[in-house]
Amino acid sequence: MDNGPVLRRRTGAGTVRHVLLAAVFFVCSSQLLAVEANSWWSLGLTPIQRPEMYIIGAQPLCSQLPGLSQSQRKLCQLYQDHMTYIGDGAKTGIKECQYQFRQRRWNCSTVDNTSVFGRVMHIGSREAAFTYAISAAGVVNAISRACREGELSTCGCSRAVRPRELPRDWLWGGCGDNVHYGYRFAREFVDAREREKNYPRGSREHARTLMNLHNNEAGRQAVYKLADVSCKCHGVSGSCSLKTCWFQLADFRRVGEFLKEKYDSAAAMRIGRKGKLELIDKRFNNPTAEDMVYIDSSPDYCLRNETTGSLGTHGRLCNKTSEGMDGCELMCCGRGYDQFKTYKHERCHCKFHWCCYVKCKRCTSLVDQFVCK
Amino acid sequence: MAGAIIENMSTKKLVIVGVTLLLFQALAFMVGGLIAPSPTTSVNYMATKCVDASKHREDTKWFMPWGPNLCDKIRSFDEAMAKRIEANNIVFAVHIPMQNMEMSPWFQFMLVILQFDIAFKMHNQIEEGAVVTVDVGLAYRDDMFSEWKEMVHSVEQRKLHCNLSLPKTYENEGRYYDCDHLPFMELGSVAHKYYLLNIRLPVNERKKVNVGIGEIKDIRLISIHQNGGFTKVWFAMKTFLTPSILIIMIWYWRRITLMTRPPVLLEKVIFALGISMTFINMPVEWFSVGFNWTWMLLFGDIRQGIFYSMLLSFWIIFCGEHLMDQTERNRFSVYWKQVGPIVFGSFCLFIFDMCERGVQLTNPFYSIWASDVGTELAMSFIIVAGICACLYFLFLCFMVFQVFRNISGKRTSLPAMSKARRLHYEGLIFRFKFLMLVTLLCAAMTVIFFIISQVNEGHWHWGDHTVQVSSAFFTGIYGMWNLYVFAIMFLYAPSHKRYGDEQSSGQCITGDAGANSGEDIQLTTTITHVDGPTEIYKMSGKEAQE
Repeated sequence: MDNGPVLRRRTGAGTVRHVLLAAVFFVCSSQLLAVEANSWWSLGLTPIQRPEMYIIGAQPLCSQLPGLSQSQRKLCQLYQDHMTYIGDGAKTGIKECQYQFRQRRWNCSTVDNTSVFGRVMHIGSREAAFTYAISAAGVVNAISRACREGELSTCGCSRAVRPRELPRDWLWGGCGDNVHYGYRFAREFVDAREREKNYPRGSREHARTLMNLHNNEAGRQAVYKLADVSCKCHGVSGSCSLKTCWFQLADFRRVGEFLKEKYDSAAAMRIGRKGKLELIDKRFNNPTAEDMVYIDSSPDYCLRNETTGSLGTHGRLCNKTSEGMDGCELMCCGRGYDQFKTYKHERCHCKFHWCCYVKCKRCTSLVDQFVCK
Repeated sequence: MAGAIIENMSTKKLVIVGVTLLLFQALAFMVGGLIAPSPTTSVNYMATKCVDASKHREDTKWFMPWGPNLCDKIRSFDEAMAKRIEANNIVFAVHIPMQNMEMSPWFQFMLVILQFDIAFKMHNQIEEGAVVTVDVGLAYRDDMFSEWKEMVHSVEQRKLHCNLSLPKTYENEGRYYDCDHLPFMELGSVAHKYYLLNIRLPVNERKKVNVGIGEIKDIRLISIHQNGGFTKVWFAMKTFLTPSILIIMIWYWRRITLMTRPPVLLEKVIFALGISMTFINMPVEWFSVGFNWTWMLLFGDIRQGIFYSMLLSFWIIFCGEHLMDQTERNRFSVYWKQVGPIVFGSFCLFIFDMCERGVQLTNPFYSIWASDVGTELAMSFIIVAGICACLYFLFLCFMVFQVFRNISGKRTSLPAMSKARRLHYEGLIFRFKFLMLVTLLCAAMTVIFFIISQVNEGHWHWGDHTVQVSSAFFTGIYGMWNLYVFAIMFLYAPSHKRYGDEQSSGQCITGDAGANSGEDIQLTTTITHVDGPTEIYKMSGKEAQE
């Protein structure tokens, strides 16, 4: 069933018409969508119209959105106003992924509008782990932010999301913690598609589901963990006898950096007898909820490969002087590189106002660029 | 007439009283920890960027971030750049509270903190000592459909304290500065259901207004208010405590007036302590639920200040009156040296409070910390108050030390007495020390609980129950000082027990000369005051033999 993207790739990838056709095809068959993995990320690529547009006819939005699984669609109907922000979250996640991997062979590039990252995600590799984590993190971030902007009607003291702590909230106590709300909602939404699958215990697919759930959690935890606590003293004469603290979301770049570290130290797992993931190398410590896990080794990202979905590094820019991953030697996998000169335009000598007034001069310089063969 | 109750009460009864007080103490902690929610809640808001398209500013126009009448908003400033919208046309709108909620007078107060998200740009960095000029309007309404009514409009200046923790390179463009949060607004009462803040950052290049403040990406506000649930528990507690302290106070004063001699200084001070406790207990805050009394917060501060300075004075005088030295006491003027710093210190804090909260009565956006002169002034008030506090504690420690040294000095003469008498004296000393210890314990408890509630944010889980540590701190400590005052008034009230012809008067073992009729054993040889009964603790032989 999931040969949709493959089929399209064979018939010539990248043309707009085909992408559109495929999109229509996916929208028509939700059954197919449920099988096609990860495609809620596509919310980050296709702009969702502002929810205000959909207030009257509530239904269309959710059925029109590509890439939602059955239970995600239900959540969408319940929380229509959240969908834009989930899209935003996916977008920030993908952007951050691309930033963090800009110097790697696999650079988190999006392939098309439905499967987003292409077939590479079918392999339970470290890269897949990172992608799941960062996009889950993006959703927590975006929902919390929307919550602060007052855009979400259920945010705050929502009965639906935090029923257990409600009795204590008499007259607002403990409400308004939007990071917590973002975390809870992201868990409901992102994990929904994994939870609805029912694979036999111990099967490969089951292992993959467990891996995805773990990495989603790792991403959400990262946002939660990196959120700073700020406090304000406001007792008598400003003394600290009364102190109030609140969570403050960290810059998403920091979340990306943190997750990148977790990517580097991700744990290789396999499915155990009890249907749980266990370490392949027992000498290491068990991964915590903040750590990433993977079950497959990464495919070769050097060469284009239709089966694995690897795009290859042909045509990528590289750094001639660097000895790291972005260096031409490693990036081009020893195939060599082409050199050419381009003009680089920069804004300089600018005069700013705090928001939207900039007066700049344009400075141009000639730079060397290297591209993998 | 006899001595104070603390001396004449049997140990058994004293233990019963102590246990009862302890139970009440535990109850006070539990009320806060288990029933009340946390004392305050903060809510984060992100200002919505609205576009004010009109050429001329209308003061009556308010911009709503969401809802039916929402403004023309932009998602980011890149959008504004594309549409050629200028900085002066952007209005940051924040609606307090969030959607589907409403504020309530039970919140008692609301303070708002301002925070800027400023992105680092190589060419547009924050200048040294940058000042933001904020043009802000606050409006309110009590239902979702009526017009917004302006409450205040003000132009405020706030100094930016921002730094970038990363190297200033092109690589880090777009990362945010770490900015200190700025005090923004403080409301002494939350009488309305909905509030709307419209903030503008007008730019005027000629006058250097809002120039060099970096690239502002967002404005965040954090509003803090007292939880309604906590307020209710707090009021209930005050309402319960007021009559109990009032009754014991009346009972105490009746006992004093029943005596033949005029009351001594210590008795007067205890009575004053009772009055200030009742003053702070009086649940006048109930009115704040019905009326829009913005000065209630300031009034609360003043009441608290009066009580604490009274308590501190009481300790000094209590120690002084138990100082078994030769100087004549029982006059308030003797203590000016020690009470002076208290009065001066609390006066400083009062002035500071008036400068901040007093001005806020008219302009809620005023902050003494916003200007340099104000900051210096505020700091100097606080430092002076701190110095006074240090002085006070030095005096107090010295006096407590003296009392204990004198007591142990007296103790050496105890073995020379008859057994029964010695036992009695030892009992008295023990009870006095016990009270000193209770005071110390109360102070220690306050400090310890303060530290716990500071270090341990939020709540503890204890089985199925969540314990709100900071709520328990507030109700527990408040209950504790009430019980303390209660206990002092009870234990230091003159006793009714009669001991034959010779009567002891005064309280406690203040005086030391024992002019005894039965056995001529004197504890000390300190002077006996001419006006007699006050500081001498006389004891009948009969009683000694009991």
